[in-house]
Amino acid sequence: MPATPVPESGPAAIESGSVCPACGEHGTEGAAYCEGCGARLTGPTPEPANAENPQTETAADRGGARSCPSCGAAGAVGGDGYCIECGMLATRERDHIEIDASTPGLPAAAVTDRGLRHHRNEDAVWLVTRPRCGDVVVADGVSSSFDPDVASALAVETAGTILGQDTGPDVVTRAIAAAAAAVAALASEGDPRRRTSNPACTIVAATVRDGVITCGWAGDSRAYWVPDSGEAAQLTTDDSWVTAAIRQGTDPAAAWADRRAHAITAWLGADAGTVDPHVTSLTPAGPGLLVVCSDGLWNYLTGLAEFAAAVREHAGRAAGGPAPMLALTRSLTEYAVASGGQDNITVAALRLGG
Amino acid sequence: MPYTAETFQNEYLPDGGTEVNAIVTVTSTPDGPVAAGATSVIIVDCSGSMETGGRIAAAKAAARAAIACIRDGVRFAIIAGAGQAQQIFPQTGTLAVASPQTRDQATAAVGRLEARGRTAIGSWLTEAAGLFAQRPGDICHAILLTDGENGEQAGELEAVLQRVGGTFQCDCRGVGTDWVVAELRKVAAALLGTVDIVADPAGLTADFEAMMTAAMGKVAADVRLKVWTPVNSSVRFVKQVEPTVADLTGKRTEDGPRAGLYPTGSWAAESRDYHVCVDVRAGQVGDEMLAARVSVVEGGTVYAQSLIRAVWTGDAALSTRINKQVAHYTGQAELAQVIQEGLEARKAGDDGTATLKLGRAVRLAAESGNAETAGLLAAVVDIEDAATGTVRLKKRVAAADEMALDTRSTKTVRVGRAK
Repeated sequence: MPATPVPESGPAAIESGSVCPACGEHGTEGAAYCEGCGARLTGPTPEPANAENPQTETAADRGGARSCPSCGAAGAVGGDGYCIECGMLATRERDHIEIDASTPGLPAAAVTDRGLRHHRNEDAVWLVTRPRCGDVVVADGVSSSFDPDVASALAVETAGTILGQDTGPDVVTRAIAAAAAAVAALASEGDPRRRTSNPACTIVAATVRDGVITCGWAGDSRAYWVPDSGEAAQLTTDDSWVTAAIRQGTDPAAAWADRRAHAITAWLGADAGTVDPHVTSLTPAGPGLLVVCSDGLWNYLTGLAEFAAAVREHAGRAAGGPAPMLALTRSLTEYAVASGGQDNITVAALRLGG
Repeated sequence: MPYTAETFQNEYLPDGGTEVNAIVTVTSTPDGPVAAGATSVIIVDCSGSMETGGRIAAAKAAARAAIACIRDGVRFAIIAGAGQAQQIFPQTGTLAVASPQTRDQATAAVGRLEARGRTAIGSWLTEAAGLFAQRPGDICHAILLTDGENGEQAGELEAVLQRVGGTFQCDCRGVGTDWVVAELRKVAAALLGTVDIVADPAGLTADFEAMMTAAMGKVAADVRLKVWTPVNSSVRFVKQVEPTVADLTGKRTEDGPRAGLYPTGSWAAESRDYHVCVDVRAGQVGDEMLAARVSVVEGGTVYAQSLIRAVWTGDAALSTRINKQVAHYTGQAELAQVIQEGLEARKAGDDGTATLKLGRAVRLAAESGNAETAGLLAAVVDIEDAATGTVRLKKRVAAADEMALDTRSTKTVRVGRAK
């Protein structure tokens, strides 16, 4: 029976309504705040003051049950998530999310983290496993676009849902196509600024079906196969300026030094044109790790050998302890943060072959 | 009545950034009958100088036109201003209820106005305040017409404004060119009203009609902005920036912990923009702070709320973005300021400073599409190049043109009206 996503190991996309409860703004799926009025969309719903509901103070003005993690004031976190004393936002759910989606025979986990330099996490991850089946999707919002965090959350949710429901051939291609259409549609709904700088993101989606990995992508988020022994493989080829330049004969060192190096040449979004995802398959000969990540990690481990060595080292350290897959993804994330944390970091790992 | 409040800002601050700016647009949407009562007082300068150039006749015609606009049921009174205030309708110390009959009686009383005596604006306002005090909760509005400089002792007018400020709104009009712009602006600012010049007495009737019609359209008295800020933060300023520039910073009254109330006067169905600037303590990159919560309060009830946020980021592309609204209104506030400074310098004979300031004004007016102010500037300076603000002071400027530019310098335009 084709299983549906398991809630407790479910998607990292933030669940929220498509309409802001405070101002009625549409098209805010995945956003932690309404772009129309700034109201917090997740967590406790604020009680807005309005004509039907006039009051001398709103829930936002009063403290609640939670104490402020910034200034320590007891019970000071108000209905809108801000501390009524120091004004700091208590937490943002997407800043750091961990998923342990292990099922017997397919241990799997993922971590997504804001990093150090970005004000919010614009990466999103979807990870679901069923017996002998795994679905993983990573999307990285394009920072220069408007609402890239909304784009990435919608992309992983749309693609992930299709991977979980659809078992036919070319499911990866169809999942990415659906995500592309959903992200492209964002430009014409919600905040008018989306029209001039449409929401955009990368995507990499991979399935594991009875030991066969199928992987599709657009952009520079990557998937690797790191076997316990033998040569590792990068399953994806970045859709980026540097990759194209090297392919055309530019000296790799010079290409990487170019300021355009990281510019991507394929993405999801209204300005992306027809998205024609690359798809590749691999049937591993032995046990190993499927690792899917955003450039927040691989930027610190650009070479394949370097990347594989780091994965093996961190996996080796995590192997003895509890929840080894979560420990692995967590420690790879910490490695990227310790290396500078310049970008949002997302890493998902699935262990195949026992 | 229902209101909406909407914030426009770039919430992203660089590492270490502490200044948060936002434009808050407040819009009222009246949906039912007027809840508050209304009281109107018309104050007509009857000093000796009003004999000049048919001013007293024009003032009488204007007062009659204003009386005709008063809605049935509204309380009203007429005060003749001279060395002291003299209520000419109804009986001293009382208010009439508007009806066809009382409007006729008031019109007849206006016909008996005579110009003689001095100008004592402070005493006229004190008299009006006494009448308004009988109607707490009403939308209280006065029209003040004068043609000369205040003749009271220095400091007297300021003391009166201190006392009566906030108890009623007062629209001020100067007729002719012998009155002092700075003086009437002081009255209008303290009493949340407008100030303008009516150079030609013949224009008074239309102006009084317009003012009274606007006053009759008001449906809510005493609307305030409540601004909450977190600890270690302070409000640098709260300014109304549309339709005119009016600094409300000094009018703050404390309202509970870390919150203050700023009066905005009475409201009709309209929309106004406010520039709020808050100094906060710098957060870490990635932190998000609520820098201010702005609420629209009428009669102790919160009708709308809007958040001003601060988000610290290491991404310079975000933190260096300048919000269009904030930039526009910062420019409009500077426009008002450089006009006033430029005219002051011109009067003081400092042509260098005057040329520089008025040149800057010409440039700001052109950039922001403020055609009305640009037109007024053209009467005072010869414009060589508006884009760079290259101007020459005109040798001869009509006093009325200079005063019109001065009084209307605070008039702003909304974003997007520029070409």
